Amino acid sequence: MRRARRFNINGMLVNAAALVLVLSYALPYVYLLMTSIKPAADVQQIPPSFLPAVVSLENFREVLQSSALPKAFASSLTVAVLTTVLSLAVAVPAAYVATQYRRRITTLFLLFALVTRMVPSVSLGVPLFQLLKALGLLDTIPGLVLAHTSAAVPLALLLMSAFFEGVPKELEEAARMDGCTRFQAFRKIILPVMTGGIAVTALFTFITSWNEFLYALLLTSEATKTAPIVIAEYNSVYGLAWGAMTAAAVLYSLPVIFVTLALQKQIVGGLTFGAVKG
Amino acid sequence: MSAIELHTINKVYGNSFHALHDLSFDIRDGEFMVFVGPSGCGKSTALRMIAGLESITSGELRIGGRLVNDVDPKDRDIAMVFQSYALYPHKSVRENIAFPLHMAGLPKAEIASRVDEVARTLELTTLLDRRPALLSGGQRQRVAMGRAIVRKPAAFLMDEPLSNLDAKLRVQMRAEIASLQRKLNVTTVYVTHDQVEAMTMGDRVAVMKGGVLQQVDTPQNLYKRPDNVFVAAFIGSPSMNLYEAVLNGRTLTLGSNNFEVPERVFEYRPSLNGASHRQVIVGIRPEHMNDAAIRPSSAEISAPVTLVEALGSESMVHLNIGAPWVDAGDPDAVADIGDERAAVARFSPKSTVRAGDIARVAVDAEELHFFEPVTRTSIW
Ligand SMILES: Nc1ncnc2c1ncn2[C@@H]1O[C@H](COP(=O)(O)OP(=O)(O)OP(=O)(O)O)[C@@H](O)[C@H]1O
Ligand SMILES: [Mg+2]
Repeated sequence: MRRARRFNINGMLVNAAALVLVLSYALPYVYLLMTSIKPAADVQQIPPSFLPAVVSLENFREVLQSSALPKAFASSLTVAVLTTVLSLAVAVPAAYVATQYRRRITTLFLLFALVTRMVPSVSLGVPLFQLLKALGLLDTIPGLVLAHTSAAVPLALLLMSAFFEGVPKELEEAARMDGCTRFQAFRKIILPVMTGGIAVTALFTFITSWNEFLYALLLTSEATKTAPIVIAEYNSVYGLAWGAMTAAAVLYSLPVIFVTLALQKQIVGGLTFGAVKG
Repeated sequence: MSAIELHTINKVYGNSFHALHDLSFDIRDGEFMVFVGPSGCGKSTALRMIAGLESITSGELRIGGRLVNDVDPKDRDIAMVFQSYALYPHKSVRENIAFPLHMAGLPKAEIASRVDEVARTLELTTLLDRRPALLSGGQRQRVAMGRAIVRKPAAFLMDEPLSNLDAKLRVQMRAEIASLQRKLNVTTVYVTHDQVEAMTMGDRVAVMKGGVLQQVDTPQNLYKRPDNVFVAAFIGSPSMNLYEAVLNGRTLTLGSNNFEVPERVFEYRPSLNGASHRQVIVGIRPEHMNDAAIRPSSAEISAPVTLVEALGSESMVHLNIGAPWVDAGDPDAVADIGDERAAVARFSPKSTVRAGDIARVAVDAEELHFFEPVTRTSIW
């Protein structure tokens, strides 16, 4: 009896702490949301109010009617999707080989992937600029996809390696005994088992590309400008379009929320994925 | 169905560890062969080489007469049951069992009927639509068996398939696997480090130690005629008691005890004849020592009792023999005996000896084993 009650109090404390944490994360976003639905005139009101006096979609109308933002969204989405596909196509098989056929060289390979994550992207941006210029890929979708893939592959590789570590070697061996070649074992058994891990990695890769600012700033201009660049430009030398900026930011956050919700089941499965229980 | 032949097979791992030394023996068509030995002796390595999951450093491996050293696992027509079962977690029981048939490209109708048949044999019919995660250990074990037998392969390989089950289920599955194998009559190689499993299941048993084959024979012969001290100690539970002794003519001196070795032993082991003060290692199984008060014998020794473990059906009596004890190199034996100097005798439960007594022990001297002290091989 006493144990149960103490457990309950502990539980309540944990819940309260979690609530505070969630609110502190959510608050800036909620404020952004509130601001975006205020009439343009109320946005800069001093002192600022948290709740809008009147709900208005004026800001949204403004950003959607301008041609810059929809076009930037299309760029962002194309780049993020292509980056995700390309990164997974490279990182998933590479991580599998590096973890299941462990040699000194594969360990070194993963270590290098980690090291590239530690180099600041500013330092990589300049050579990337020169490289893409030489290839004639500046301000093109393929150019930015390549740049984003170079940044996303190491992350995807490390994530997928962690997931593959949990896959017992016997699974592939069993498939090979059951009549598969190594590649068939990978495709028919290992990949389907790994959907959770792949979903998590896909999400992180997508977000990496979607949120990326620096390469997009350096490597694109009018033709393929991505959404974060356009949103930043609302704060320009001509003044701060605060209302439009918040509306654009809200729209910009929607795909990430949508993708996360769509993959929710796989992500929870992937994150709690310890050893594969057979 | 196929015979499996191993001819001077060696395995050197990538880190230059020499795991198997000149392994040579034949597994006959339809035979149930057990590999047994202490942990790390190379049983799994040998099995995985037969499976094709591990490369063969040197030597020849033939399955059904065909040299398969460089043949892919999928083309060897053998099925394997893993210790961890390695069921496909995203597939139902039905799909797990059907998978090898799909890979073999069988028509759907035949796959369905064969899966149903196997499910009936293994009592899995009601579980066919479940995922492996929702099964008990014993049920998973059965599914793994089902996936192996559904293909009707040339041979089954099993690596400690029962070691994840509790003791009771293990005994039950032991009998089931053995009877299933007899029914299907498919060549089977079964790896275990449990000598009871080895003795009860195998047509023949290969005893290994440190990557070297010690002896291949039927369970009865391994028990009755072990080739060396290691096999003698490894087979049988509790282990055979091994002591240094001196044989002079027909008289054996074991510590402070002397007794006559019966004529039959010398017929059995002619090279023991005419011994004069010959140093030997003598082996006495626990079941060949009894309470002399209950079953008198012509060969009796007296020894202080250090411990009595009454098990109901029998009593394990630990005796201080007072002769130099011989380490057979079996890591499990020490654990069996506890105090490594003590000999263990298996007394009738009627025995009234207690710790601290000096027991009169009747030795079944016809069942004594003799080994060379240096080479540690049997004296025949
Ligand atoms: N991939 C490997 N690389 C190097 N050495 C290995 C490798 N696999 C196994 N070994 C070594 O080879 C020896 C035999 O291993 P193996 O797995 O065949 O033993 P085992 O008899 O099956 O033991 P257990 O009863 O513990 O399963 C061991 O000493 C082990 O450390
Ligand atoms: Mg093993």
